[in-house]
Amino acid sequence: MTSPSTTDVIDTVLGLDRFPDLQALREQRAKLKQLSQTSYQAALRPADPRNFSYALRAALAARMAALWKSQELSAHFRALLEREDEGSALASIADPGNGIEDPRLQAILAHVDLVTLSPKEATRTNIEKLAAAGLDDRDIVTLAGLIAFVNYQVLVTAGLKMLRDN
Amino acid sequence: MSQAVHEFTVEALDWKPYVKPVDVETATPEQLDALKITPSNRKISDYVLVLANEPETLKERTPLFNDIMYSEGGLSRGGREIGALAASFVNRCIYCASVHAARYIQLEKRPEVVDEIYGSGLDANLPEFEQALFNFGVDLTAHPDNVGAYQFYHLREIGLDDLQILDLIHAVAIFGWANRLMHTLGEPHRLD
Repeated sequence: MTSPSTTDVIDTVLGLDRFPDLQALREQRAKLKQLSQTSYQAALRPADPRNFSYALRAALAARMAALWKSQELSAHFRALLEREDEGSALASIADPGNGIEDPRLQAILAHVDLVTLSPKEATRTNIEKLAAAGLDDRDIVTLAGLIAFVNYQVLVTAGLKMLRDN
Repeated sequence: MSQAVHEFTVEALDWKPYVKPVDVETATPEQLDALKITPSNRKISDYVLVLANEPETLKERTPLFNDIMYSEGGLSRGGREIGALAASFVNRCIYCASVHAARYIQLEKRPEVVDEIYGSGLDANLPEFEQALFNFGVDLTAHPDNVGAYQFYHLREIGLDDLQILDLIHAVAIFGWANRLMHTLGEPHRLD
């Protein structure tokens, strides 16, 4: 692992060091808190990133957080992207409004947007489009896993923010 | 070939992947570790074998899912299943819904709650307690950017404490994860 795994991303982005009661509440579910953080490592900075570079993972995560208007997480993932090698080249992906020329990346972004905001609309055709753009089976599972994890993190963060502010 | 299922059902279903599941015979040591395989225990679902294409993620996901749905104390098991069902209805994960509807009925012996959700979907008219859990699951799944004082108030109204609310948040969120895998990487079929 190249980034510190002792820092909890959700605690950090919500500034929970100023909310000890909520931190203590999260500690009542310490195991799942820890597994949420190790899942973050596996999704964003796995030992073998294979065909999805750390920069691409961070850029896609920033895009998904922006799609859900999760300011805390989109700022976090943009900062992560800036720290990754080649991160600046992928900065435009983090903004959902931007178009992209590369066909493989285009197919990936279309899938990310669909499965983040409207997963119910996804069908076999969407997986066939990824395959047609050159993604192999493992790439498709990698992408699905990244989308699924970031959406989980968005929901947990949104729920904890509700607890923090009420 | 059996028929794909596109409508919500409480019957037990099969799940057929769009991508290739890992073959246990040729799996890497890392994949076998993530699958926790012992030679006598080779009955693993195609869903898990598809996820084993990414063993590093699967290895974290399995215990995370189990802790969220089965940990001691806090929100009842049935309450967590309502959160799972609400997410699965919004995301139209037919397979997830069928499994967790069955589990809710098994735990709570209240098939009428599931009947109402299946009959009326997101407009379900439920007893106060189940309604509040269900509505929160729908709202957090459909509009995570818009949960706040209103949702919190309704959860407090039915008497949930902070830990129970936290458990509900996690149950809904882990189905935001599970639905996005199960509904997008394959489809449910009637059992042969």
